Amino acid sequence: MIEQDMRDTIICRCQDISLGEIMEAIDGGITDPEELKRFLHVGMGSCQGRTCGKLVTRILANVTGKSVYEIKQTSQRPPLVSVPMKEILGDNNE
Amino acid sequence: MNKNYDVIIIGGGVIGTSTGYYLSKSGMKVLLLEKDYLTAGSTGRCITGVRQQFSTPATIRTAMSAVKLFENMKDELGVDVEWTNSGYMFMAHDEAKVEAFKKNIEIQRKFGLDVSFITASEAKALVPHLDTDQLLGVAWCPSDGQASPFKVVLGYARGIRDNGGSIITRQEVTDIIVEDGHVKGVTTAAGVTYHSSRVINCAGPWAREVGLMAGIDLQVEPERHEALITDGVQYENMPMLVDYRADGGYFVQRVTGQFIGCFTPEVQVPGKDKSSTLEFMKEMSRRMCKIVPALENVAILRQWAGSYCMTPDGSPIVDETPVKGLYCSVGMSGHGFMLGPALGKFLAEYIVDGTWPFDMSEFAYGRKFGDKEAMA
Repeated sequence: MIEQDMRDTIICRCQDISLGEIMEAIDGGITDPEELKRFLHVGMGSCQGRTCGKLVTRILANVTGKSVYEIKQTSQRPPLVSVPMKEILGDNNE
Repeated sequence: MNKNYDVIIIGGGVIGTSTGYYLSKSGMKVLLLEKDYLTAGSTGRCITGVRQQFSTPATIRTAMSAVKLFENMKDELGVDVEWTNSGYMFMAHDEAKVEAFKKNIEIQRKFGLDVSFITASEAKALVPHLDTDQLLGVAWCPSDGQASPFKVVLGYARGIRDNGGSIITRQEVTDIIVEDGHVKGVTTAAGVTYHSSRVINCAGPWAREVGLMAGIDLQVEPERHEALITDGVQYENMPMLVDYRADGGYFVQRVTGQFIGCFTPEVQVPGKDKSSTLEFMKEMSRRMCKIVPALENVAILRQWAGSYCMTPDGSPIVDETPVKGLYCSVGMSGHGFMLGPALGKFLAEYIVDGTWPFDMSEFAYGRKFGDKEAMA
């Protein structure tokens, strides 16, 4: 279902992770979205998975034959977008 | 399906996977059961630091052995675990700390550790961004370092599978079977029973609940900690900076250029609550910018929480329990990732050969819980 010539396609732009690398990990037995995230760092870059998250879900659904709704979503963590420390500290930074 | 194993390990963090790896390497048929996913407990929530600067002989020697294992892990496991000797600096802002650190350095040097007490200006030369206001000096060990907890566990887990062992995740152990004082196996939430005459409790923050399944009341309690990581900026080989003042914290620059860190709350927060607080993000930002002011321009990417598994004296419990064949490697008290590779190897050797590499009575199950680890 995934053509050989698509393997160089970048799935996670923040961490430069290709479809081939994700497929290799899945073939190596990592099919839990939480482990895929941690072992490959897919979705742990600047966008926090907002770009690649849906793609990874779809890949896992394809590979496992499940519906995308059955693939567990990984934990979302604050802040939603990166915030410089000086913005967080505001005027309270003595 | 044959459900008999030489050893069953409960817990898929660094302790469970390293112990399982070395046991499988010695030829044992290993089953590792994890109730969530690998690294879901304390290991995947730690801030990646690996240090050898401790105050008691067994902990210093274990940590030094662990560093040797981290250094060779890429060859041993075939996975780049991002090991880097970026060092640890313990900052002293008062005379009492200076004295305490110097006393510890004397002990650490007896075991051959390359550690020294250097002046604030020497520290500043190594870390140009460091704020040295009121800093009297630092305990500096350049061979301390950092690695990726995820890659380490991935490497050990692969090793277990390559050595013929099994890992089952999302499979919670709900009971430990004991007959006439001997362990016989475990039962899971799925109602499956796995048989073995050896079971190892590597359950981290859940260690107490797991021990109680066999009637063993371990003196361990989970303690909540929060942590955060920033966006990446240029990597400057900045060591782990440890500031133990009441409003201090500790953080390191990862090889990815990101800063990762946390602080220990003044009043201990018991439990396993994994929610994050805005209060922590603000307070940690303030503390990091106090130590390295240039960080005010760096953005926070993500925050999370996890639990230490604390013992009364801050040292782990690595031993066989009064139930024959039931072992525990628990109570890491915030040092599981850094000690894990060595403790896994040592416990595996103890199970196979019946010997420890050196006097491990500091970690004994039946010890009296007295003095606290001075560099907790």
